[in-house]
Amino acid sequence: MTAPVTTTSTDGPAMVRPRPVGRGRVITAYRWEIAKLAAQARTRATLAVCLVAPFVFVVLLDRQDRLPKDTLYGRWVHASGFATPLLILGFAAQWVFPLLTCLVAGDIFASEDQHGTWKTILTRSHSRSQIFWAKTLAATTFATAVLTVLALSCLTAGVLLVGHQPLESLSGTLLPAGRAAGLVLAAWATALPPLLGFTALGIMISVLTRSSPAGIVGPIILGLLMQLYAFLNGADAIRHLLLVTPFDAWHGLLAAHPYYGPLRDGTLVSAGYLVLCLAVAFTALRRRDITGG
Amino acid sequence: MVDGVPAVEAVGLVKRFGGLTAVDHVDLRVDVGEVYGILGPNGAGKTTFLRMLFGLIRPDAGTLRVFGRTWAEAGPTTLDGVAGFIESPRFYPYLSGRRNLMLLAGLDGGDADSHIDQVLDVVDLADRAGDKVGGYSFGMRQRLGVAASLLRDPQLLVLDEPANGLDPAGIRDMRALVTRLAGSGLTVLLSSHNMDEVEEICDNVTIMRTGRVAYHGSIDELRAQAPDPSHRLATSDDDHALRLSAEHHGVSVTAHHAGGLALRAQTADADGYLIALGRAGIAVRALHLEIAPLESLFFMLTETGSAAGSASGSATGSTSAGLRPRSHNVTGATP
Repeated sequence: MTAPVTTTSTDGPAMVRPRPVGRGRVITAYRWEIAKLAAQARTRATLAVCLVAPFVFVVLLDRQDRLPKDTLYGRWVHASGFATPLLILGFAAQWVFPLLTCLVAGDIFASEDQHGTWKTILTRSHSRSQIFWAKTLAATTFATAVLTVLALSCLTAGVLLVGHQPLESLSGTLLPAGRAAGLVLAAWATALPPLLGFTALGIMISVLTRSSPAGIVGPIILGLLMQLYAFLNGADAIRHLLLVTPFDAWHGLLAAHPYYGPLRDGTLVSAGYLVLCLAVAFTALRRRDITGG
Repeated sequence: MVDGVPAVEAVGLVKRFGGLTAVDHVDLRVDVGEVYGILGPNGAGKTTFLRMLFGLIRPDAGTLRVFGRTWAEAGPTTLDGVAGFIESPRFYPYLSGRRNLMLLAGLDGGDADSHIDQVLDVVDLADRAGDKVGGYSFGMRQRLGVAASLLRDPQLLVLDEPANGLDPAGIRDMRALVTRLAGSGLTVLLSSHNMDEVEEICDNVTIMRTGRVAYHGSIDELRAQAPDPSHRLATSDDDHALRLSAEHHGVSVTAHHAGGLALRAQTADADGYLIALGRAGIAVRALHLEIAPLESLFFMLTETGSAAGSASGSATGSTSAGLRPRSHNVTGATP
């Protein structure tokens, strides 16, 4: 150990290097968290799968004689490339979306517990609140990125491998290619509010349990239980409050006479989950004893 | 930072965990440029004090200022200009040492990332910087912790038991590193339970016992108040040697509980006595230093709560009634 040590001399009044304050520190921490996510193989692999999987799915579907006719737009996957992204959207809502977002959201807080790095972070001029919002922003960024990549990949795979034939609406009318493409993207965009709801759910479980497996698997199980409840035709009022219900809100966009009630209600329900889960997580993190890790 | 403002100033600091008072009305002042030791056995309250300094826990009473700022007033900006680690530093094991430092530099903001190579050189980890931290030894992680601290270009470096858990070579390297950092003019606050470590590195010291200050003052003053060194002596004729000791002022010789003799004396007095043994035809077969003087005083302060008179001028019941640490400006060139 022979290299010179360079520290500020104390001959005169030492100057502390100016650092960002308030919201600036949240942005600094957000960039740090994004850089950390980008360094993780799991994050990169997830985005790569979202990019490639739709193409593999379409190729496999193309080789099949039997179509998934019991699934919405399943019977039209060979007739129009715009049916492919809608078929995948319906499938992804069941458990793929919760899994994809919670790979990061369910781990982003618990991993600090797992590695004992809370003290490393919090002794570098950042408060728990700043770290909380930075991590939450990073998790929602990842969720949005995953949804965007998957949507564009599904649309591209459908159009390139099947074609850009007109799409039949849910009312039976034919939608020209340009209009169909716009509606497909809009349909995928409606999945964002419930996806962010699941992101918040993953964050909450991650903070409360300090366990990555619980943070990742927990929201998937809850999502499947909600699916089961909806499948069993339970009380309608409760069904509307489930976080999986808004995933079907896009159906209204594909009708001959579009209706937006489910989209509005779904957005409100998703916002409710988002606020409630983040409030619980924020309070728990603020109060937590992290002296051990 | 205003000239004359201490790096750390605690006044009447109290922290309780249920019925346990971990830090009990502690007063402490670390001036800029000082190398200050907080010494005490496990459970003395050292780490609790440092946790409060870093804002990980809040004091129940009293004030703790870092460069004149308190957490209540300044929030996390209190730690601007402060770096260090509590207990053992932790990193992301799936990333390399360099990648960990890059991430932390990103969290610090500014141009911290431009210092990465430099701080890796300082802690002698440049060759292993590309390896994953998961494969690092404990000592390498400790050194990476120091590197991560230096990235912040701190004015105050806080190290909690930096040599804890290290093998002898690691302890040697870590002490040499801290000594060099201290010599560069950095204000260093070092927590330790090892008297030798603090004596070797620090200018001033606070000795804590069960949450309270048992002593604070300079190392030199502590050394002056330390009892005589204690040796175990084996001779060819212990009975004769014991009788001969009565003729030597400043020498205390008693039967050792494990055989042979116990010799307590300052070095000059001990030398005179040992020469006299030789002149009397008594061979000295073994002479072992059993307890160093400061270590002996440390045990007195932390186990009995008093220095049995030998440190009466600076041993304190709880607060700063004793000696005040002096200000030091260490600006020596680095090796």
